[in-house]
Amino acid sequence: MLKRIRLLTTILVFVLLTATWTACNGDTTEDTDGSNGNDNDSNVDNSEAAISVGVVYDVTGKGDQSFNDAAAAGIERAENELNIEYTELTPNKDGSDRAELLQLAADSHDLVVAVGFLYEPFVVDAATENQDVQFGVVDTPMLDFESDPSGQPYGDNISGLVFTEHEGSFLVGAAAALKSQTGTIGFIGGVANAGGLIEKFQAGYEAGALAVDPEITIFANYITEAPDSTGWQAPDRAQEIALSMYENGADIIYHAAGGSGLGLFAAAKKHSETVGSKVWAIGVDSDQYHTVDPEVQDYVLTSMLKRVDVAIFELVKSTIEDNTEPGAITYDLAVEGVDYSTSGGFIDDIVEQLESLKAQIVAGDIDVPTVPNS
Amino acid sequence: MQSTQQKHTPVSANAIELTGIAKQFPGVVANDSINLSVAEGEIHAICGENGAGKSTLMKILYGMLAPDEGTIRVNGEKAVLNSPTDAIALGIGMVHQHFMLADHLTVLENVIIGAEPMRSLGRIDFTAGRDHFRKISKAYGLDVEPDDFVDDLDIGQRQRVEIIKVLYRGANILILDEPTAVLVPQEVEELFQNIRELKAAGCTVLFIAHKLNEILEIADVITVLRQARLVGTVTPSEVTAKELAEMMIGPKFSTQRPILRSVVGKAEPRNTAAALPVESGETVLGGENGPLDGNERLHRRRVEGGETVLTVENLRLVDESRVVVDSVNLTVHRGEIVGIAGVEGNGQSELIEAILGTRQIASGGIFLLDQNITHTSVRHRREAGLGCIPQDRHREGLLLSSPLWENTALGHQTEAPYSKWKLLSPTNMRSRAQEVCKKFDVRSSGVDNTAHVLSGGNQQKLIVGREMIAEPEMLIAAHPTRGIDVGAQSAVWNEILKAKSWGLATLLVSADLEELIGLSDMLLVMLRGRFVARLNPARLTSRELGAYMTGAAIHAKSNC
Amino acid sequence: MLTASAPLGAVGLAVAFSSLVLIISGSNPIEAYRDMLGHAGKLEVQVDILNRVTPLYLSGIAASIGFRVNLFNIGVEGQYILAFLVAAHVGSLLTLPPVLHVTLILLVAMTVGAALSGLAGVLKVIRGVHEVISTIMLNAIAISGLVAWLVVEWQADGGTRRTGGRVGTEPIADSGLLPDLNGFLEMFTRDLGQGRQLESMLLIAVAVGVIYHFLVNRTVFGFDLRAAGVNPTAAHVGGVPPKRTIVTAMLISGGVAGLVGMPELMSTGYFPSNPVLNLGFTGIAVALLGRNHTVGMFFGALIFAFLDKSSSILQITSSATREIVVIMQGLIVLAVVVAYQVVAQIRKRQEAAMAMLNQLT
Repeated sequence: MLKRIRLLTTILVFVLLTATWTACNGDTTEDTDGSNGNDNDSNVDNSEAAISVGVVYDVTGKGDQSFNDAAAAGIERAENELNIEYTELTPNKDGSDRAELLQLAADSHDLVVAVGFLYEPFVVDAATENQDVQFGVVDTPMLDFESDPSGQPYGDNISGLVFTEHEGSFLVGAAAALKSQTGTIGFIGGVANAGGLIEKFQAGYEAGALAVDPEITIFANYITEAPDSTGWQAPDRAQEIALSMYENGADIIYHAAGGSGLGLFAAAKKHSETVGSKVWAIGVDSDQYHTVDPEVQDYVLTSMLKRVDVAIFELVKSTIEDNTEPGAITYDLAVEGVDYSTSGGFIDDIVEQLESLKAQIVAGDIDVPTVPNS
Repeated sequence: MQSTQQKHTPVSANAIELTGIAKQFPGVVANDSINLSVAEGEIHAICGENGAGKSTLMKILYGMLAPDEGTIRVNGEKAVLNSPTDAIALGIGMVHQHFMLADHLTVLENVIIGAEPMRSLGRIDFTAGRDHFRKISKAYGLDVEPDDFVDDLDIGQRQRVEIIKVLYRGANILILDEPTAVLVPQEVEELFQNIRELKAAGCTVLFIAHKLNEILEIADVITVLRQARLVGTVTPSEVTAKELAEMMIGPKFSTQRPILRSVVGKAEPRNTAAALPVESGETVLGGENGPLDGNERLHRRRVEGGETVLTVENLRLVDESRVVVDSVNLTVHRGEIVGIAGVEGNGQSELIEAILGTRQIASGGIFLLDQNITHTSVRHRREAGLGCIPQDRHREGLLLSSPLWENTALGHQTEAPYSKWKLLSPTNMRSRAQEVCKKFDVRSSGVDNTAHVLSGGNQQKLIVGREMIAEPEMLIAAHPTRGIDVGAQSAVWNEILKAKSWGLATLLVSADLEELIGLSDMLLVMLRGRFVARLNPARLTSRELGAYMTGAAIHAKSNC
Repeated sequence: MLTASAPLGAVGLAVAFSSLVLIISGSNPIEAYRDMLGHAGKLEVQVDILNRVTPLYLSGIAASIGFRVNLFNIGVEGQYILAFLVAAHVGSLLTLPPVLHVTLILLVAMTVGAALSGLAGVLKVIRGVHEVISTIMLNAIAISGLVAWLVVEWQADGGTRRTGGRVGTEPIADSGLLPDLNGFLEMFTRDLGQGRQLESMLLIAVAVGVIYHFLVNRTVFGFDLRAAGVNPTAAHVGGVPPKRTIVTAMLISGGVAGLVGMPELMSTGYFPSNPVLNLGFTGIAVALLGRNHTVGMFFGALIFAFLDKSSSILQITSSATREIVVIMQGLIVLAVVVAYQVVAQIRKRQEAAMAMLNQLT
């Protein structure tokens, strides 16, 4: 009796599912059109907008006070100044739906901006499929080295926005060496071995510091190693690492650890107050003097600026003007794609030296490494 | 005897008066318009088969279940009992079959827990509690030391603690749920003495029981339930045990002839005990002893010169550095039932675990037929022909939430017809289960039912059936009829005796002394991990056996 | 009837509560559900859902083998990630004929998973270490220790990005990859969009499901496993070797866990610096949802995958916040636990009634 009912239910469910499946597939084209129609409906106001942009953030999403927020600042500025519409998308926690998000964004937008180099393979697929949509990816040149060792764009509608973080890091490294009283400075990275990205920050920082003071001691530490990506969101662990560096004589620490950086600022304040002599922290990506809690503002010596916002704004602008460049668009010191901040006035006394170093890099007299020595 | 005669007419107000009590569970009537009057100061026994509705009725009286219909009057007042708390407030207390005591607390702490006399600032007033305790213990002759740890008490003493616990809460109507099930005869006698004293002090006692001779001994009035109905209320003087048994299970009973004295009547005392206390408890017992003589019962047809099936040599078991079984030697022959008697906790459980293979042995040897199984797995032993009726069918015998057809395969899943080449055959498992149910009278509506659904008796018959149908060489039967009704009990006994006649060797461990004496060809008494006496059951009363079990007889007769 | 009513009731309950949450958060639940279902109606999305089902289903099976014998293998997470990495590395070292190469990679993955999980089993049996504790520890050792170290040792091109932005281990030769099922699927439907592959690991996962069902229900070992799960003492008395059963269950559980990362490896050919994580933990939910039943877990994985894939469309249409998806997943698991408890109660009552009936007859 029970068995029969169970069998019946199974058959029923199966039939139902098959029916849904077939019905859905039969309607697919209509459905797609329909949902596109819907999307257009929801974007009705964009009849006046120049273009619509889909911004696809990385897993940590908006609100990291760092990388993703810099991207958000760029698109917001574009909305204000360029009359555009935009939709923001964030993948699942495990990042398993990057491909689908890009596809969806491409379905209903003129430009898709993907924040993070992990999007590269997915963008290549989505861009090939959607030739009429422009794609931009942050932190990767979007060049195909397979067909041409010097690199060819994957397609006319694909741009990569890259930054010379090592150059910016070089300058803050130099600043740290110039300002250090103890001759010891530190570096905290978020996640090691995540495509060598953060190692670039470390390499530039160390080179900059050594350029100023060859005798300087540099501590370098990463919060986690790939594939464990919790290092981007672990201020508590960052704080511990920072405190131990301070206790061991470092008086300036630079971080490239996304949301974890907040722990560094807290540590700087805490250590300064307990010991009675001031130690410093250096921010990253955005001008963190302005983004952090006012309480710890006075400990932010400077920040390495990575103008993701500028890059995204420029990309939107060029898309509207229909003159996008395929392949890598490099934002370096020359175009102020990377820079250092002077907010707070703590490094006013060394700006001259830093500017001279900057000029040498721009001129090509200093070659900044991208891979750390150690 | 079937007539519902209201024999006893209450003189004083009835302590309890149940009128038209009915309780239905989905699809089943558990109590059907039951009228029951219990006079104040009366010892009232309620008997009936498992599932007759005794427990339901008592749960209703104790506020654990609400009746669908009917009224309850306590001391003449109409009462609505929504919970045991209500019942306790009205002076009704219940002593459950399974004790609910915390081992690591003292007797006093156990008694006052939940009803602590308080001093200021939330401190417990132990002095007041102890005084009250002593008063109760003295008034009712319940002899327990308040400051002993429950851990150190024997079963009888624990039961007394439970009774004091109930009295401490002010109960004058006591419900005792199968209080004798766990006791040896001496303890039963003490319990009955306590009950009589309770009665003398004015308490009313409701006594749920299986064992007819005990009921006849202690009760003033007996109420018999059968199939949710009250079939009669009688006094002990009016009925014999046989008549009472017939009332309980109906006329079908007479065709299933019971085997043991506990069913047909009181054991007639025997004059001589063939007790052979083992000197210093270490004498080797077993095979070299010839066939027992003086065997008057027909079923005791011993297979002459029976081959040795099980041999246990110099077995020693250690549990967390405590020696629990020591120097045990044992032989069981084909067609022989060797009974092991002993107060629980003297090493019997450990011994059978070691034979079965679920317990590691410290030293010694175990042999099944010509195989040394000392260090083999349980599975190997089972495949070699060792069957087992475990002592706790729920814990050790059944997969309660699994269907019957899986339960019948348990323990034999590696063997034909249940499996072949490590692959199960659900078809064979089902047909085998049906066969077991049919042959061994396991009553259920189908083999897809879970084992939960079966009554205790049917569960036990299922276990016995699955072991017997596998045709074992050797059977360990541990408490094979514990807690089951007389019908199932006699069925289980029948099966054990039938298998014996085919030549099955059986090791019987039981707390039911009548069962031990009635079934065994030879009895071994276990005390503190050793065999201390080898007895001939043919010339033994349960009273005498009880004396051996507690060590009293051995102290009297030997110097160990 | 009762069996089917529990999961259906659970989903109903979860939908009801989710609707409530949606209304409170100011969204229209009907609109949100319409968007979600409409999205799932597209062939491409269905392929995405099935691709997501594959690892979830495998992970669910891995967890459920433990559950069958009352073992809580929390270590699926660490087992599949380590297995993924080692299999990716071993697979990249050699080139073999296609079938052999794939088989070797899958075997390596299963062996690594089984070894890690078996270790927890052995620890439990020998030292009495609770498997929850040992598997959590082994997760930490595997993910933050072994994998983090080995991924550097084995990374290709010094850890820099290769073409297509790939970072990770040396890629496996094509002979070690499984072809997609697009051709097969397109015979029945239409052409899939580029970048969408129906992964063949789905078939292997289904096969694992069938084998799991057979193993549990049709073998003596499965009987032992279930018996030990229902009542370990009775099983022991019934000849089930308790220690061996535990270790074997852990080995099999770990072996299946080793396959969880294979859909990704079999389609991309390398272990990336950012593999999809947390599949091990989601598998526990899938096993709970499917009540350790082969078909049930498939539907459990399907529901989870469907919800996962819905979060994207909700962001586009903004008919609801994407977090509702996570809330719904949580609610479904909760509702399932509650619903089964209720059904168990009802069944218990029915059984009690039947028991009485049996006693009376």
